[in-house]
Amino acid sequence: MADPLFNPVPSTFSRGINTLALLGICGVLGMAFFDQLVNNELPCPLCLLQRMAFMLIGMGLLLNIRFGPSPMHYGVILLSALVGAVASGRQVLLHLAPGDPGYGAPFLGLHYYTWAFLLFAATMVFVAVMLFIDRRANDQNQAIGTNGFANFVMWLFFLLVLGNLASTLLECGVGQCDDNPTRYLWLS
Amino acid sequence: MIMMLPFLTGLLGTWFGIRGHRRISVGFWLLTFLIVIAWLNYHMSDSLSISL
Repeated sequence: MADPLFNPVPSTFSRGINTLALLGICGVLGMAFFDQLVNNELPCPLCLLQRMAFMLIGMGLLLNIRFGPSPMHYGVILLSALVGAVASGRQVLLHLAPGDPGYGAPFLGLHYYTWAFLLFAATMVFVAVMLFIDRRANDQNQAIGTNGFANFVMWLFFLLVLGNLASTLLECGVGQCDDNPTRYLWLS
Repeated sequence: MIMMLPFLTGLLGTWFGIRGHRRISVGFWLLTFLIVIAWLNYHMSDSLSISL
């Protein structure tokens, strides 16, 4: 007899929403990369920590896509967003004083770390809404099949994480990054 | 402190997630999460230029 509390079949709708959210994370990481490569704006340590938080969120979304939605995966996303909000909130406070020009060039009137803080807050709201939608989701260890679009988004995310790994290696080597980096350590 | 380390552990977690190994993927997520918190703690030691 089917369990009346939990839905044994992972929701296609929910996995689709999670795929779109992961695509959004890819957009954020890609945008940061674009700014780094085209405008030659090297990420500071706090900026890198915010990218890491977006990566951690992406890992939780990927788990929802690959194994079906689960409260544990949403916990992963929520904790990651919390860490990201602390890192970006800290950077907002660092540049809060009047006359401070902030770090890097603004985008649509706000600095990237301010946008990041808003996105981390939006992620927390997203998790709350998705927990309503997935209230009957069943936790399972077994991977389930994914469609071509979901595969594309997951591998795109993988490549962006790989790109960030390579770029951080070039910028900082296998040590600590400068507070205000102006050059790639391994390219100079 | 190795700044690129969380990207390396995150990449491994992502790889295992895509390949269908949830426990290993979540294990790498947890490891990455803890490293990020440690690195965050290190980079939040400067004093803020505001007075409360």
